[in-house]
Amino acid sequence: MSFKNILENFSYYRRDAEDGGHHEYDHRFGMTIDLDICTGCNSCSTACYAENNLAVVGKERFEKGQAMHWMRVERYWDNIEGDYAEEGAKFLPMLCQNCGAATCEPVCPVAATYHTPDGLNAQVYNRCIGSRYCSNNCPFRVRYFNFWSYYEDSWPEPLNMQLNPDLSVRDKGVMEKCTFCIQRIRTAKDKAQREERVMADGDVVTACAQACPTGAIVFGDTMDPDSRVSKLWEKHQVHRGPFLQKKDKTNEEIRGYRIFDELNVDPSILYLERVRDTEV
Amino acid sequence: MSVKVNRRKFLKMLGWGGAGTALTGCDLPTTVTLEEGKEEVVSYLMPEEYAIPGIGVWYASTCTQCEAGCGLHGRVREGRVLKVEGNPDSPVNHGKSCMMGQSTVQSHYNPDRITSPMMRKGSTLQSVSWDEAMSALTSKIGPDSGVKGDRVGMITGTVSGHQAVIIDELLAQVGSKNHYVHEVINTSVWSSVCRDMLGDEMPKLNYDKAGVILSFGADFLGTWISPVHNMGEYAKFRKGARGSLIQVEPKMTLTGGNADLWIPAKPGTEGALALGIANFIIERGWNAVDVPSSIAKTLNQYTLTAVEKVTGVPVNKIKRIASMLTERAPSLVIAGASTENHENGYDAVASVMLLNLIMGNIGKTIEASAKFPEKALRAKQGNTKDLLLLAKALKDNKLDVLFTYNTNPAFTAPAVLQVSEGLSSVGFKVAFSMFPDETTLQADLVLPIHSGMEDWGTHVPAYQPDTSSVLSLQQPLMEPIHKETRGFGDIMLSMLKLRNKNFGDFPDYYSYLQTAVANMPADVTGSVEGASKDIWSNVLQKGIVKAKASANALTPKLVDMKFKVKHDNSGYPMHLVPSARLGLWDGRHANIPWLQEFPDQIAKVVWGSWAELHPKKASELGVKNGDYVRVTSASGSIEAQVYIHKGIHPDAVSVPMGQGHDEFGRYAKGRGVNPLKILNPLMERRTGELATHATRVKVTNAHKHEKLVHLGGSETQVGRKFVKTISVDQLRRTEGEA
Repeated sequence: MSFKNILENFSYYRRDAEDGGHHEYDHRFGMTIDLDICTGCNSCSTACYAENNLAVVGKERFEKGQAMHWMRVERYWDNIEGDYAEEGAKFLPMLCQNCGAATCEPVCPVAATYHTPDGLNAQVYNRCIGSRYCSNNCPFRVRYFNFWSYYEDSWPEPLNMQLNPDLSVRDKGVMEKCTFCIQRIRTAKDKAQREERVMADGDVVTACAQACPTGAIVFGDTMDPDSRVSKLWEKHQVHRGPFLQKKDKTNEEIRGYRIFDELNVDPSILYLERVRDTEV
Repeated sequence: MSVKVNRRKFLKMLGWGGAGTALTGCDLPTTVTLEEGKEEVVSYLMPEEYAIPGIGVWYASTCTQCEAGCGLHGRVREGRVLKVEGNPDSPVNHGKSCMMGQSTVQSHYNPDRITSPMMRKGSTLQSVSWDEAMSALTSKIGPDSGVKGDRVGMITGTVSGHQAVIIDELLAQVGSKNHYVHEVINTSVWSSVCRDMLGDEMPKLNYDKAGVILSFGADFLGTWISPVHNMGEYAKFRKGARGSLIQVEPKMTLTGGNADLWIPAKPGTEGALALGIANFIIERGWNAVDVPSSIAKTLNQYTLTAVEKVTGVPVNKIKRIASMLTERAPSLVIAGASTENHENGYDAVASVMLLNLIMGNIGKTIEASAKFPEKALRAKQGNTKDLLLLAKALKDNKLDVLFTYNTNPAFTAPAVLQVSEGLSSVGFKVAFSMFPDETTLQADLVLPIHSGMEDWGTHVPAYQPDTSSVLSLQQPLMEPIHKETRGFGDIMLSMLKLRNKNFGDFPDYYSYLQTAVANMPADVTGSVEGASKDIWSNVLQKGIVKAKASANALTPKLVDMKFKVKHDNSGYPMHLVPSARLGLWDGRHANIPWLQEFPDQIAKVVWGSWAELHPKKASELGVKNGDYVRVTSASGSIEAQVYIHKGIHPDAVSVPMGQGHDEFGRYAKGRGVNPLKILNPLMERRTGELATHATRVKVTNAHKHEKLVHLGGSETQVGRKFVKTISVDQLRRTEGEA
């Protein structure tokens, strides 16, 4: 990007983040997770392990925080004033938010993590040198570093036969993270191209969304106004772009929110608030 | 057919012996022959025209990880199965799957599978050839062995479909009635009550139609009846008008974690709470159905204050629940393990069911289920009564031959029952098994079987969630990984052939099953379209058969209830809750590395056992997270690390089932403790089930500490808002009632 280029195309490069910033997007994949019907059952997490060749690290490494759960279900106990957790537990499926203005991207010294035209934070494994700056800079703690060559003991034969050949097994020294099942996106794109049509809503379903027994997870293209996910974003008055969204809501009580919205990172995941019947 | 068999006998061999088949004889397909079955065995080595390298093909099958019978689609690429997902056509799971279903592949590819037959020579099990194994089997239990009658037994997990048919057939040939069907995680007491009070052992529950669900320990989102199905219905229940969920249980289950109101009643007093609610409703005249004065009179003693005293649940809460049941009718009131498995479990569940009856829920949220037309194929549901019966038979030296399949009694039986020791009194133990678990390693002959993804089968779920009943077909998703494993059906068939020549017509279980499906009576084939000769391929493609079901109405009836709370001051002040978790289940999945690494849904602990305690109790004992406590019952003791939270009754200590294996491969062996081992041999009075939640214990500080390995650095959001919670009012204002 030469200086001349910037001057000549200034109006293009000065676009606001809502308009995609300097990106020319084909798609902007996003997700909605309804915390009211999420039961915290761990199905999504298991499906993710099965789809994405995630290594099992064992108890000792888990203790050190080295587990590779791209999709993890967190559980919180809060505001328990009485003797009992009368309102149950709070479950939160946490995965890479594939931020539009991702904090992990600019700090990578070798541009191993970059923004794709599909709106994903991609991780180029063979470019990654393992500086771990990205994971240091991620407010969601959803980047996972291969401290060890997990393949050496994570898939003793014949467990290795289960590995998904559509994506690689990562080696020591490489950062990895949720990709929104990029291999499924690729397959769906190829299929649509072969059938000479544009991708339709529902062509790509991530492993987690597919497995979710309550259908709490909805995945799709937020640029396609007819997709289920776009409609949910619209209904909950949350739109793409990094600026605080609260002021945009005609009704502040509407459920949709994005985690750490105040950091202006433009997360691609819309969460819907958990509901509890306080009259009970 | 080489041997003349009459039509009726032939159909019975195939499992179609019941009513209806005789009438449809003329409609039976005549084009399908046994010989055709032989011809159509197509090896996966011959690529199908649609098998393109690099492209995954999805085949329908059935999940065998628990008894729910979810339909699966398995992705097969280059001859390997890579991933499973739910079969959208299955009315059980509607294309969804749970963590255990997803982990089927790790069971199938498990590095600790048994790869060749083994025979006990001296004190050790040694690898032998199949020829040697089968000749040992023939000489020990064949027609010339002289072994017959009730000295032969078989213990299995829940079985259904043609698996149940051939097990029945073999035992009938031998002349034995000893088929023990054992599952620790079961709903036997619930089923007994439903049978007596509703006339249907497994009624259909319409969660989505309920305004409020009151659950007495039924972990329907995690471990109760058909979890994946229930979760789908739960989503419908929460959407739209958004029903409310009240959960009463001593230890928070996954369902409790999702409740709007979670209440711990004193363990074993749940029945009193149900009767207290019923009494209050009747007093106020809120009941939708008239109650006979005799019942109302019995209920009289359950006044609000009396119930508060017994259960520890405050009066205002009891009143609130009663008015919720009334205001938000229809309701659904259910009961699960922590209510069922006490000595008074039957009466407690009957008290719970009484609420459904008086609130008029029958026919609304509880309906008669669709029964599969063919009785022989219906599920034989596992229980713990049969485990007690087996323990007694072993103790009394009643068995010469014992087959074990799909169950691990040496692990699940309380130590005091001495099942493990008793097994040594059985002359010849044959284990059909995939893994070297505790029971298998005690066998005299170990027959390695195919995994669920290598074997054929049919499954009829015990819980039928649709208006038509369903049979789910299990087909191999790939060639067997190990050369020396065989299908359970194949081995059974070769044993049957020794005694019943008619089975000689079937070269293998595949052809047996194919013939059976092709000869399905018309009242079963219901949903299968196409000419009769295409039935088999249609069923293979879809994976399920929806059979017509007779529509019976429920017949509500009140039973005599004698609910008594047991007081025990024998020096064991605490209640042990051996909790079940979606994941490791009763311990059968402890050898799956994924399921070991996934945190428990509530405690978030990984790779081990823990004991849950209330903060009050923990401070009394002077323990903090990670400290070890010793849990001692009259029958033994175990040690586990403490996890402290407010989702447990202060008088209860909960240790999850699943860990504590002495054997069972590298991922399970020597990890954690098994709470089932220290249970007292107490029985539920009316059903004879093992009262797994009735054991009293004392908990002492073991003065040992290790870091508790669990997910999450912080137990709270520390003031940040990751998970925001709003009230139903707010939801109604914004999204309204759909």
